[in-house]
Amino acid sequence: MDAELVQTLLHFVVGGFLVFLAITVVRDNIGSRLNRATGGILLFAGLGPLALAMSSIMQQPAPGAGGSAMYNLYHVWELLFPTLVVFSWYFPVDRLREFRHPRFRYLVFIPQVIHLILVLFFSDIDALLETVSASESQGGFSGALMRPFAYVLQILLLFIGYILSNQLVIFGSINLLYVVVAVYFLESGRRLQTNPRLVPQTEALVWAVRLGLGLYVIGLLGGLVAGGLITEGVRSLIYLTAAAVGTVFIVYAIVRHQFLDVRLVFRQSLIYTITSALLVGLYIVVGVRASEFTRPLFGERAEIVSYILIILLLLLFQPISNWIDGAVRSMFMRTRSDHRNIIERFSRDIISVFDPKELRRKIEDTMKTAMLVEKVYFVLYDDDVGEYAIMPSDDYGRRTIIRRDDMMLRGINLLDRPTSYNSLEDYAEGSQLAETLTELRVKLILPMKDTEHLLGFLALTSKVAGYRFSPEDYNLLGVLSNQMVSALTNARLYVDSLERIRLQEEVTMARQIQLDLLPSHPPKMPCSVICALSEPSRTVGGDFYDFIQVDGRKQVGIVIADASGKGMPAALLIAQIQAIIHSEVNNGNSIAMMLRNMNRQIALSTSAEKYVTLFYGELDRETGEFEYANAGHNYPVLVRASGEVELLEVGGPVIGAFPYMEYESTKVKLNDGDVVFFFTDGLSEAMDEQGVEYGEERIRSFVRDNRHMEPEELMKCILEDVRAFDPSTPPQDDTTIVTLKMTGAGAVIDEKHVQDFR
Amino acid sequence: MKLSDRIQDDVVILEPTGKIMGGPDASLLHDKLYEYIEKNMKRVVIDLAQVDWMNSTGLGILISGYTTLRNSNGELKLANVTDKIQSLLTITKLVTVFETHDSVEDAIKSFDS
Repeated sequence: MDAELVQTLLHFVVGGFLVFLAITVVRDNIGSRLNRATGGILLFAGLGPLALAMSSIMQQPAPGAGGSAMYNLYHVWELLFPTLVVFSWYFPVDRLREFRHPRFRYLVFIPQVIHLILVLFFSDIDALLETVSASESQGGFSGALMRPFAYVLQILLLFIGYILSNQLVIFGSINLLYVVVAVYFLESGRRLQTNPRLVPQTEALVWAVRLGLGLYVIGLLGGLVAGGLITEGVRSLIYLTAAAVGTVFIVYAIVRHQFLDVRLVFRQSLIYTITSALLVGLYIVVGVRASEFTRPLFGERAEIVSYILIILLLLLFQPISNWIDGAVRSMFMRTRSDHRNIIERFSRDIISVFDPKELRRKIEDTMKTAMLVEKVYFVLYDDDVGEYAIMPSDDYGRRTIIRRDDMMLRGINLLDRPTSYNSLEDYAEGSQLAETLTELRVKLILPMKDTEHLLGFLALTSKVAGYRFSPEDYNLLGVLSNQMVSALTNARLYVDSLERIRLQEEVTMARQIQLDLLPSHPPKMPCSVICALSEPSRTVGGDFYDFIQVDGRKQVGIVIADASGKGMPAALLIAQIQAIIHSEVNNGNSIAMMLRNMNRQIALSTSAEKYVTLFYGELDRETGEFEYANAGHNYPVLVRASGEVELLEVGGPVIGAFPYMEYESTKVKLNDGDVVFFFTDGLSEAMDEQGVEYGEERIRSFVRDNRHMEPEELMKCILEDVRAFDPSTPPQDDTTIVTLKMTGAGAVIDEKHVQDFR
Repeated sequence: MKLSDRIQDDVVILEPTGKIMGGPDASLLHDKLYEYIEKNMKRVVIDLAQVDWMNSTGLGILISGYTTLRNSNGELKLANVTDKIQSLLTITKLVTVFETHDSVEDAIKSFDS
């Protein structure tokens, strides 16, 4: 093959591919001006070589003076320079918004269009001049009339001729200037751009333009400085290389970084086209030249061998193309923009995230890098305030609570799939939310709904660089929103469980405090033995007992009480009661007065349904005299040594129900062997499966029958008996028992023993 | 607890059935009482015949009902008090506070005397 044929072939292949690429890029999304601009660049870059190839095929004469129109048409490729400048105004940052008259952007095409017109219609300037001089020299009236025009025309033609003879300098410089401007805008746009997907796209493009620029400069300088060295043919080859290199980078940006946001199918087919074209081209070359290679080796039989070779190659075609197919697929599987990849990555990323803030960050990241969304806003149900709120994020600095009756919120509540914001227009009237969303340039609403509740929604602005949401994007967003719902629910459950653990810890601490408030062991007295136990049905209880050493007196106070209700509220009430008792006892008030004061304080400081049943008695350690008052508490059972049963019921109503109540106290004399059994209703109201209560009667007989036992043993036995009666665990109510047994009233008291029981 | 109500001789008769144990029972009774207080009907009899059990919280509900009515110059009386509730009232010594009657009719009559 001679050099000219190779050159023509190269021009044809490169030009043809560029035009093909231009058409596919525009067709992929004709509505996008970015696609149109890119298509324009590729088209003009392709038309130049194609024109050269065509003129070469049609055996047109050489360029220059008297060159053919077909050859000169190759100057159309220069239009790619203004298109590139326009492109750099769109991408990666839309600068046209700042333009007051965006239509004027097409003015940048003027120099190149003029150049094209000049080379197309004025290439044979000498012939034109001759025609003009001919008409000038015409005699007669018309000749006289035409003369001034012809004169002007002549000057104009001479000027054009001057321009054409210096076209390389003039238009070459303009083109160079255009490339520099485009590089400037692309480069500065790349610096402004933060989207991690756009940055590599822009970088690839900047490289494409830079390399193209470099080659163009070489060609231009070569033509100017070393005009003799670099011929027109070589220069066009250099330009061709520049176009090819630029194209490779654009294809790389499209395939690898999803430049122009083209669909996956398109990107794959692009690779297929290129690889199959290369493969088939290789096959054709081998097929055509096979006999040439084989002749020196096989001589006569070369023809047969070459047929065998071709058949072998054809057999290999399928496996090779399969291999290419597999390689292409695996390459795309790695890219971040593949939908399956996005879903897979997203669910892996968010499944282990329980911190709501971190979760929002991950979602935002996916929306921006995978979906190329420019800005993402979160509107979520805020558990803290019990309302929906725009959550603070990178794009939104504060938290804005949305009124529950906001029309737009109601409208969004009805959605169950990604929806364009514009279609929600009907709900916009009078809606504060709609006002905010419009202000934020929201384009798409992505509701996040579990089976019945709207957890919130994402408000997405348009995609970066003017890319548009495709139907595939809508489907993908739908799938992602389902994953977000489960992730958000998980995160909330996790936070709840943390909260529960924290509460549990607090309750445990409260229990410890409550235990610390109970006496560590009962007072040891020579005259009597006291035992006590308290079992809350929950972690903290509403029962309590206490022994109080009255300052400077020989009496010991015994108190048992039960607050209405259970758990924490009852425990708090009990703590209050305990504090009041201690201060009252030390104030030296009588028992009746003490209960009266306590009742008033509690009644006035708590609501009516909160009350405490309480029994308070003071045992004289010397005389065995027991003065008590019973404020609505289960009657303690006094079993005399003889077996006779008395109930300690004198006193007044429960503490805390009604403010102004009177209480009275009374005295009983306790003797050797007498047992006093104090308890709370957890013991008497224990219930068997038939709903029968254990009852006070049963308690009285049990204590009477077992009065000979030591207090410790008596308590253990009765508790066993009650638990056998009502085996429910935990017990239904708090249970507290205090047992007092007289062992020898009037005995000498060891003060040391009395002092240390608290 | 279920709560039905009727009016007999200008007296509100509340008839709870089941167990009075607190929780939602409290607001049920409260809301009903407030409903009548707003209608200026402040003479109320709670018929306890159908109440088979009551715990300390349940008693708290009766106390707060009584207080609520008292604070708006009304009066709450109990009728058909079962043994269990009677003993609860006795132990807590609230018998001195709550007026109890053997029948709803007796309770209604007692308002006039």
